[in-house]
Amino acid sequence: MWRLGGRVATLVPVGALVFLLAVLAVKAWPAIRVSGWGYLTGSSWLPGSTYGGVEKVHGVTIPVGAHYGAWPLIAGTLQTSAIALVFAVPVSILTAFALTEGLPSRIARPLGFVVEMVAGIPSVIIGLWGVLVLGPFLAHDVYPLIATHIPNVPVLSYFGGSVGYGEGLVTSGLVLGLMIVPIIASTTRDLFLQVPALPQEGARALGMTDAEVARRVTLPWVRSGVIGAAVLGLGRALGETIAVAMVSGSVLGVVSPNLYGTMTTIAATIVSQLDSAATDGTGFAVANLAEAGLLLAGISIAVNLAARAIVRRSGALGAPVGRA
Amino acid sequence: MDEITGRPDADGHVASVLRTLDPDRDRPTDVLATQHLTVGFGGQAVLRDVTVALPRGTVTAIIGPTGSGKSTFLRTLNRMNDRVRGFERHGDVLLDGESIWSPGQDLLAVRRRVGMLFQRPNPFPMSIRDNVVSGVRAHGIARGKQLDVVAEIRLREVGLWDAVKDRLHGSPYRLSGGQQQLLCLARALAVGPEVLLLDEPTSALDPMSTEAVEALFQTLTPALTLLVVTHNLGQARRLSEATMLFYDGQLAEHGATAQVFGQPRDPRTARYVQGLVG
Repeated sequence: MWRLGGRVATLVPVGALVFLLAVLAVKAWPAIRVSGWGYLTGSSWLPGSTYGGVEKVHGVTIPVGAHYGAWPLIAGTLQTSAIALVFAVPVSILTAFALTEGLPSRIARPLGFVVEMVAGIPSVIIGLWGVLVLGPFLAHDVYPLIATHIPNVPVLSYFGGSVGYGEGLVTSGLVLGLMIVPIIASTTRDLFLQVPALPQEGARALGMTDAEVARRVTLPWVRSGVIGAAVLGLGRALGETIAVAMVSGSVLGVVSPNLYGTMTTIAATIVSQLDSAATDGTGFAVANLAEAGLLLAGISIAVNLAARAIVRRSGALGAPVGRA
Repeated sequence: MDEITGRPDADGHVASVLRTLDPDRDRPTDVLATQHLTVGFGGQAVLRDVTVALPRGTVTAIIGPTGSGKSTFLRTLNRMNDRVRGFERHGDVLLDGESIWSPGQDLLAVRRRVGMLFQRPNPFPMSIRDNVVSGVRAHGIARGKQLDVVAEIRLREVGLWDAVKDRLHGSPYRLSGGQQQLLCLARALAVGPEVLLLDEPTSALDPMSTEAVEALFQTLTPALTLLVVTHNLGQARRLSEATMLFYDGQLAEHGATAQVFGQPRDPRTARYVQGLVG
């Protein structure tokens, strides 16, 4: 009886995932039929006629002139999450080192508590702070320092050009990064505490500096765990909605030409467009949001699978946690 | 009789030639010496007034009951205790006549010259080859292709080469305990130490591995000076020329191993080596 119950219980999350994806797929089906692969590459987000004029495309009734392409949303989602990781992983690892080794415990203990508390701050508050404080500060005092020194050559020019007013791609990425630092840092700190002292002592006895011990012994020892923590953070960054909706500029249909431009992500688009999409009598706008949601779920699952593969490969040297 | 050539050396000629060839001839005879070394943690003395000299190229065993200060003594010699909370020290440790704490002394250089092998094997989370050369890399002694040569030389030196040559890039954790300890020895030897501190180096190994590791220690002198903390009195007798016995933080006895075990001067030593205490 209990065993049966246990088996059924394990099926619940699997079933929920399958059900969720199935519902999304059904809702998205009209959009998939109309746009096909063009949905992934197109860049326009046009709801079409708002006066009730409809046409039939591939057997689906849609408003006249409606055209949807999610490429800018996909690009925005991947870009902001990448920026978030580039910022958050090193910061988190340094934070974890400071909490476990760098600082005396009477400072490290309360600081660790603060780090964990930051994880609990509602994202709408972080978004508000991003719009009111961080964004303007970065746009006035930080971005110009970088942008004005960048020569106008290919690749590098991505870091130059107009820096805007603080709402946009890099601000969104940094806000996301700040939100996932506590997740990655507290996990990494717990991992560091599990590294046995003996290999670290061995490295020190060999004449390695603290930094070398950290880089060559401590960090590799927990590498797969840190990757796991980073993926946990990445999952949060990919799906984070409201904070990005507040600091991205929420501009549909364009991929930012440089690091600072306004843009939006899949998650932010779904939340900001759902209201107006509901006014589309044909249901086509909602179908397109559902397809965007399906894409986001697909990206998250793909990221997790990729992370598993990386963890398996990096675990090949087999540093067993808890063994010395 | 000359002990190296095996020929009669009545006029001391061979000995004098050998002396000229000895690269260490101008250095102090004692590679390591402690002077009234007292070490404590948080006001509690663990070692008291230890004065001892270790002649270059010899093996000295350190024996004594648990908690007598053996390991503390060993770990003070390469400054591993410096950052332990509450560490206090009086007296000095001289490496080639110079204090290991003198301002001109570089901590990392001291540790390069005074290597250490621990109670349990502690390979780093990297490939077997990278383990061997990790210290070499950190000190910038060799790089690139040279590292492969260093790895092979040191693995051959510890007799591990044939066992691992086909899996140099594999995990060290799949080796047996004895092999792991040999790997750690290869790693310690790779940076070219003058002194090797061995903290119960075979206590986690089976008798066969212990024998292999002990045999290896004997090939390391006189190029290296070995200091072995051991609870295994047989090991102390087999390996060492001199033996130090610690008792309650004090150096109760220090002399030729045969004397310490045969005619101990201190009654505590007598009881310890006869297995009556400890």
